[in-house]
Amino acid sequence: MRRLNMEKFEPKIISFLCNWCSYTGADLAGTSRMKYAHNIRIIRVMCSGRVDPTFVLKSFREGADGVLICGCHPGDCHYHEGNYKCMRRVEFLKRYIKQMGIDERRIRLEWISASEGKQFAALADEMREQIASLGPCRVRKVIENVS
Amino acid sequence: MKDSRIGVYICWCGNNIAKMVDVEQLAEEIGKLENVIISRDYKYMCSDPGQELVIKDIKEHQLDRIVVAACSPRIHELTFRKALENAGLNQYLLEMANIREHVSWVHTDREIATVKAADLIRAAIEKVSYHEPLEKLSVDIDPATLIIGGGVAGMSAALSIAEAGKQVYLLERDEKLGGHAADIDLSFPYLNSVASFLGPMIKRVSEHKHIKVYKGTTIEDIFGYIGNFETSIKPNGGGKEELKFGHIIVATGLKAYDPTPIENYAYGRIKDVITSSEFEQMLLSGKILTKQGKVPEHVAIIHCVGSRNNDTHEYCSRTCCTTALKYANQLRSALPDAGIYDLYADMRAFGKGCEELYTSTSGRNIMFLMFDPEKNLPVVSEAKQDEECEMIIRMEEKMSGENIEVPADLVILMTAMEARDDAKDISHIAGISMCGNNFYIEKHPKLDPVATTTDGVYIVGTCQGPKDIPESISQARAAAARVLAGILRGTVAVEVTTAVVNEDICCGCQTCISVCPYSAITFDEEKNVSEVNEVICKGCGSCGSACPTGAIRSRHYTDRQILSQIKGMLNRGKLKITQTIIEEA
Repeated sequence: MRRLNMEKFEPKIISFLCNWCSYTGADLAGTSRMKYAHNIRIIRVMCSGRVDPTFVLKSFREGADGVLICGCHPGDCHYHEGNYKCMRRVEFLKRYIKQMGIDERRIRLEWISASEGKQFAALADEMREQIASLGPCRVRKVIENVS
Repeated sequence: MKDSRIGVYICWCGNNIAKMVDVEQLAEEIGKLENVIISRDYKYMCSDPGQELVIKDIKEHQLDRIVVAACSPRIHELTFRKALENAGLNQYLLEMANIREHVSWVHTDREIATVKAADLIRAAIEKVSYHEPLEKLSVDIDPATLIIGGGVAGMSAALSIAEAGKQVYLLERDEKLGGHAADIDLSFPYLNSVASFLGPMIKRVSEHKHIKVYKGTTIEDIFGYIGNFETSIKPNGGGKEELKFGHIIVATGLKAYDPTPIENYAYGRIKDVITSSEFEQMLLSGKILTKQGKVPEHVAIIHCVGSRNNDTHEYCSRTCCTTALKYANQLRSALPDAGIYDLYADMRAFGKGCEELYTSTSGRNIMFLMFDPEKNLPVVSEAKQDEECEMIIRMEEKMSGENIEVPADLVILMTAMEARDDAKDISHIAGISMCGNNFYIEKHPKLDPVATTTDGVYIVGTCQGPKDIPESISQARAAAARVLAGILRGTVAVEVTTAVVNEDICCGCQTCISVCPYSAITFDEEKNVSEVNEVICKGCGSCGSACPTGAIRSRHYTDRQILSQIKGMLNRGKLKITQTIIEEA
């Protein structure tokens, strides 16, 4: 039996997917048996507009190295405009985490429709590469040392 | 985590999950976690014995929260909610971990997949401990139905519902009923006249006392939810009329692909290259003639125009092959001595009686020539002056591997079916989603093929994808049965995963009111707090993430629930999974 290689850095990525488009798209990747990076851990929310900034901050606080948010394409939101609200929030969040010393590239917002299983799988791989190249996010360690 | 008595059930899904995830080890290790009273693995959790297992445990061990780690909650969340209810537990005290679509089907390393499954289950356990019992709201169902589209599918659905004595409002944007079928001469595979059944159908619909037909009428907006939709229309551009209905059936159909962009086929440049719709008109008129008024001596039919090619549409339009066979038959009967050439990519004559049509057509002196739809499309060009035909089609014949020239005086392009230009508008109005190619997407491709993700809204006919007349009618009748079942029930339980305001914390800033897309929040001037109308709220949670004080909770997706889920996902603790003890990172 092989041991998990704990030496190699495998980023932890929390992904918030909206129920109507992106979560369905991720399900489709599964139904189509597409293979993608295992680092993505998916949390279902009804709308990308539900993604409260504290969810993202909490993810980093608990040890995530990256956060991927996916919603419906512009104009296709099940709730009309939740994805636009998310887009504005993410822009602010990026500036905010930068001030906290977290690289803004650790947050990513993308549009995945219910039929884009293939795109979701590719995005997961891309996100893993991006976060792996940035290395571990040290926020959690720093906070723990301070407290 | 909140103190609770949680039961965790890990599904094998036969081999679908068990092959890639060590479910037995997982069940054992998860069982050691705090608050987990029972942890089991089982072959098929969704089966009756699987559900019984949950029900029995809830009763025997006084479980108050359930986690099912199995397929996507989009597939079986309702199944397990019902099981909880049968055990006397509130159905919202369930959380699912998606370890099939998001784990076993997408990863290839069993250890890694098992660790990931453990993370998702931990997250579900943390989250479910904060779930609250919620009571569904029961609302009455308006017995009327709105059907958008008066083609064969829309009319079939209308008749099925109206025959049961229920009111139907049938909206048609054109001035006449019948849709695309009205432009077709004969139907395949038995070559019966379409008009012979369409005419009586239109008559029955128009005269039915329970069907109100609105011709030349479009729709701009629909408000409400299952059981209680409403809209205002302007019949024939006239005065406003308010309609109230409990269900919606979308039957808006499709349009034919315009082949002008495919240069090889010279459509629009050479006048005797026509589309299948144009040929159908020719058949209806009873005269097969070239633009110069001559009887063609050579006729070529080209398949897959706009279908099965990545530059146009990747999908197969499904009806064109058999329609082409129908044309070959009609041409042979009309022009006994003409050369008839059928240029196909693959002969997809599926469906009852269609392969037989192919066999009988093959015996009528039709030349079948095969080409590759991805590369080497045939090239249509004008013949030289001294040639005996008007056009020459150059192609690489796949079976023989030869480059050949096919003579033609008339070329018929079997054009693809594609989504209508206004498909997106209707999708927004009716609250349905589209696939990449703008056809409407069903709730579940196998288990729920005519429902959509919006309760009370159904899709039938070619707006969902290319199909023939019998398939459209089957869908229409299926949707009608679903609608009638709803009307018969009389009431429907609507989700209460809506927003709710904690008046003690609300500071009266009204930020929530400005972000709500449904105007479901109003301001109580007296108390100086916001108030949510639960029936109008659709539970998107926009207000929850905008509220500065945390006074608004999105039920079932509260901050606390999601924050615990995040925590559970990232903190493995000393969970011993696979050969490694995974320490906290």
